[in-house]
Amino acid sequence: MNDGPVSTFQFLGLTFSTANVVSGLVVFLLVFAVVFFTSRHLALKPTKGQNFLEWLIEFTNGILKGSIPANQVSSFGLYGFTLFLFLFLSNQLGLFLQLTFHGATIVRSPTSDPIVTLTFSLMTLMLAQFAGVQRLGYKKHFANYLKPFVFWLPISIFEEFTNFLTLGLRIFGVIFSGEMLLKLIWGLATSHGIATMIVAVPIEMVWQGFSAFLGAIQAFVFVTLSSVYISQKIEVEE
Amino acid sequence: MLSHLVAGQTLYFGDSLFYIVCFLLLMWLIKIFAWKPVTKMMQDRSDKIANDIDSAEKSRTDAANLVAKRQEALNASHAEAQTIVQTAKTNGQQQRDQIVAQAQTDVQTLKATAQKDIAQEREDALANARDDVADLSIEIASKIIQRELNADDQKALIDSYIEGLGKQHES
Repeated sequence: MNDGPVSTFQFLGLTFSTANVVSGLVVFLLVFAVVFFTSRHLALKPTKGQNFLEWLIEFTNGILKGSIPANQVSSFGLYGFTLFLFLFLSNQLGLFLQLTFHGATIVRSPTSDPIVTLTFSLMTLMLAQFAGVQRLGYKKHFANYLKPFVFWLPISIFEEFTNFLTLGLRIFGVIFSGEMLLKLIWGLATSHGIATMIVAVPIEMVWQGFSAFLGAIQAFVFVTLSSVYISQKIEVEE
Repeated sequence: MLSHLVAGQTLYFGDSLFYIVCFLLLMWLIKIFAWKPVTKMMQDRSDKIANDIDSAEKSRTDAANLVAKRQEALNASHAEAQTIVQTAKTNGQQQRDQIVAQAQTDVQTLKATAQKDIAQEREDALANARDDVADLSIEIASKIIQRELNADDQKALIDSYIEGLGKQHES
């Protein structure tokens, strides 16, 4: 991760990290490939791929239905679906594929970088704000900050900040630490030849499996919390 | 500022922009290629299932109605058949009785007519026989008389006749 040089490049006056851009593109292509190839030859009587895709859609819609009123779920369904798939594959990518080029990492989990997770967190909160204004109008939307009483305002505003940070950093922390431990175990495995290899490789495999599980849980949690934050904004607080 | 806050890592805000663009593009592509057709298909399916359930319910009630109607018709036809047989039986009975009665009266009339005819014939035959006997006896008598009647007798007869005529005048 942060050992070794970080490869960056400049574009339009902004600095980009090569690792994030390349892994982001990889995840982008993976998600698109999965969705594209499972949605071919749609039929009323679904076949294998369509079944899987529909199951996935039902699953993410189910997450959203947990907190958003059922009649509003359809407007956030696509967001929840894309978010879940993107985060899930991002979390898994680094567990199976870590590429280094000239000493700098270029492919790893994008979600092991806080800027990526905070970007998604920010996107969710922006969507929540937008949906709140769209559904309730400016007046009612901002009146929600003054509930249950006027002096609650600082806490409400502070809450937005904490929501933003906790939502983004939770997933980052889990994925980052998971990858870091993978690297540590691998370092241990290669440190004293065959003897440490025999001991460390099973541990590495176990940790990989556990991280895969954690990655799935974190993607699920992220979408769940997103729907909770959105639902808070599209309802008038009592 | 924020770039060194987290885990001592350097944050590159270009990435943020890149991920937002990536994500929105991905969402748009998914919407076009998968989301719309798949959700439409799912909606179609749920509609179809609802319709199928409704139509199944409808055909079930239709079938039940039809069965009830059939049963009713069957019962009605049973009853009808029974009445038809009954009517035919009574008709047959009636007709038989009628025929027998008719035959009896016919026989009676025939018998009566025959008896009358026989009586008539006998009467006629008797009358004929009587006439014949009378004629015969007259013939026989006239033959006998012709042979027995000689000139004297004829004269006496004529006389008596004339005498009779005279008596008739007198009276």
